[in-house]
Amino acid sequence: MRTITYAQAINEAIAEEMARDDDVILYGQDVARLGGIFQVTTGLLDRFGPERVFDSPISENVMVGAGVGAAVMGLRPIVELQFADFLITAGDEIFLKAGMWRFMHGGAFKVPLVVRLPSGSTGAGPEHSTCPEAYVMHSPGLRCAVPSTPADAKSLLVQAIRDDNPVMYFEHRLLYQTRGDIEDDAASLPLGKAAIRRSGSAVTIIAWQLMLQRALQAADMLADEGIDVEVIDPRTLNPFDWDTVIDSVKKTGACVVVEEGYRSLGVGAEVAAVLMERALPWLDKPFRRLAIPDVPLGSADALVSEVIPSTDAIVRTVREVARG
Amino acid sequence: MDAQRLAGIYRSALLSRRFEERLLKLSMEGFLPPMLHPGAGHEIGQLAAIEALRPDDPIIYSHRGLAYMVGRGVPLAAMLCDISGRFGGTNNGKGGIMHVVDTARGIYGESGTLGGGLVVATGMAMALKKKKSSSIVAHFFGDGGSNRGTFHESLNWAAVLKLPVLFICENNGWAVSVPTSASTAVEDIADRAAGYGIPGHVVDGCDAEAVYKVMQEAADRARSGLGPSLIEIKMVRLLGHYATDPQAYREGFDAGTLSDPLTAFAAGLIASDVLSDAAIQALEAEIAAEIDAAVAVAKAAAPLPAELAYTDLYA
Repeated sequence: MRTITYAQAINEAIAEEMARDDDVILYGQDVARLGGIFQVTTGLLDRFGPERVFDSPISENVMVGAGVGAAVMGLRPIVELQFADFLITAGDEIFLKAGMWRFMHGGAFKVPLVVRLPSGSTGAGPEHSTCPEAYVMHSPGLRCAVPSTPADAKSLLVQAIRDDNPVMYFEHRLLYQTRGDIEDDAASLPLGKAAIRRSGSAVTIIAWQLMLQRALQAADMLADEGIDVEVIDPRTLNPFDWDTVIDSVKKTGACVVVEEGYRSLGVGAEVAAVLMERALPWLDKPFRRLAIPDVPLGSADALVSEVIPSTDAIVRTVREVARG
Repeated sequence: MDAQRLAGIYRSALLSRRFEERLLKLSMEGFLPPMLHPGAGHEIGQLAAIEALRPDDPIIYSHRGLAYMVGRGVPLAAMLCDISGRFGGTNNGKGGIMHVVDTARGIYGESGTLGGGLVVATGMAMALKKKKSSSIVAHFFGDGGSNRGTFHESLNWAAVLKLPVLFICENNGWAVSVPTSASTAVEDIADRAAGYGIPGHVVDGCDAEAVYKVMQEAADRARSGLGPSLIEIKMVRLLGHYATDPQAYREGFDAGTLSDPLTAFAAGLIASDVLSDAAIQALEAEIAAEIDAAVAVAKAAAPLPAELAYTDLYA
C-alpha cells in the first residue's frame, strides 16, 4: 500500500502504459516541455522522447481529430485538452468523429482514443471552469470516466488507454493534490461499475469528484443527526451502473444527485428519469438534485461559491428529503 | 505517362460515369434513395491522382462521386448494397453511399461534415510516421471544405510535423449553391500553402498527365519525409450538388454548354492512338454488362434487418 496524489496517479498510469505499449502516444498543449500547465505530465518527455510525447499547437479540432485518425491506424493516442470546456471547441471531432467514425463505417474501425479533460472551477471564468460530462453521457459512442480518488484516477486511466473505444476522461483540477491509498496489485473495478463509498439506509446520494468529497462530508454531518446516508460514486457515466443505483434506491427509498454541471438535462435529470422508469414503486420520497443553476460560472469566488453545490446545501437538501 | 495507364484511367472514369448514371436512374425508379452527390466531371482528375499513389496508400475521400472507390476496385455490387440498405454492402446500413469503406483497398471512409476529414487524415499520417511506414495518406476534399477551420489546423500541424499526407482540393467553383468567388478570398486555394510553408500546386483536372505528374512529385516528397503538399485540382461540376438539384442558382446554366472532361479525354486518347473508337465501344459494352451484373446482385440481396441499428457502435 502506498499513498499518492491524484495527479501522480494520472502520471503513473500514462508512464506505465507507455512503457508497456509502444503504440501509446501523448500530446496536447504544453504537455511535453512544460509537463502540463497543471504539472500532471512532468517527466514523460524525458522518459519517452519527442516522438511519443509532444506539444501541439492551439488547435483543438486537429488535436482530437488526429487522435481519431491515429487510433484508426493502430496507435493509442492520449490527447490532453487543457480545459474540459474545450470539449465543445472540438465538438465535431469528439461527438461526430470519435463517437461515430466506427459506427458510420459499419464497425470497420476501432478508435482507442483517450481525451483527458481537466475540469472544475478555479475562478478562471465561464470558459475555463465547467464540468461538462453530461454532454458526453448524452452522446452515443463515447465512454465517460469521472475518477474521484487517486486509485481510480490510475485504474480508470489504465483501462481507458487499453479500451478499444474512445474514452473521455475527466480529471478534476481541485483533486490533483488530494492524496489516497493505492494498492499496486489490487484488481481494479471495470469501467461501468460504481463504488459504494459509504453504506447507509436513509437516502442514496450519487456524486463524483469534488461533489463526492462534499457528499461524504455531508454524510458525516448527517450521521450526527441520525440520518444514515448511502453515497454512490458512479466512477463512469458511460457505461452507467444503473443496477447499483437502483438496488440502493430500493433499500433507501430516496435519491439525491449532486453534480457540478448545469442543472437542465444534466446527469441528475437522467437519473431521475431512469428512476421513474425502473424504480418508482420504491421511491418513497421526492427525488432531488443539486447542480449549477443554469448560469455560467463566474470568476469571483463569491459568484462561484454561490452556484456550486456546497456541503451545507447537501446537508440541508438531504435532511429535508429524509424528514419530509 | 504510358498508354496502358492512360487507358486504365479512362476505363475507370467511364465505369464511374456509367455507374453513376445507373445510380441516378435507379433513384428515379425508386430503387435507391436520392442520396448521391454526382461526381460527373471530376472523374479524370480524381483517378489520375489515385493512379499516382501506391495501392496501399490510404485514402479519405470526398463526397463527390464514386471514382475513388472504382479506381481502387471496390465491387460495384457492394456500393449498390450500401446505398440500397441491403446485405453485401461495406457499412451495415450505417453510412449508405457516403461512407463506403474497404480498408484492404485503402478506402478508409469519409467524413460526413465537410472539412472533417482533414483532421482524421492528419492523424492517420501521424500513425504512419510513428510506425515508420512507407505509405502516405491521400485526402480529397472540396473548395467548400477548405473554408473550415480544420483546413488551417490540419495543414499547419501536418507541416510542422512533416507528416506523410497529401491534401488534395477538388475545386469545382461551387459549394452547393455558393460560388467560390462569393465564399473565398483567393482565386487559387493552393496559394494558401505558402502560409504553411509547404508546396502548393494548381493543376487542371481535365489533364490526367499533369495531375499524375504533380501528384507523383508530391507523393515522393511525402514518402521521403519532407512533409505534406497542397494540390488543387480544378474540376468541372457537370451536375447539381445532389441527384435532383435543379441548380436554379447557376445563372444562365446550360449543362449542354459545359465541356465534359471525359469526352475530351477520350478524344485525346483516340488522337494519340491509345484507344480506338471501336475499342471504346467495346469498353462501353463490357462496362454495361459489369453494371448490369452488379445491379442484379443488389436487387437479389436481402434488405438489412432493423436490429443493425444497434450494432457497430462500441468495439
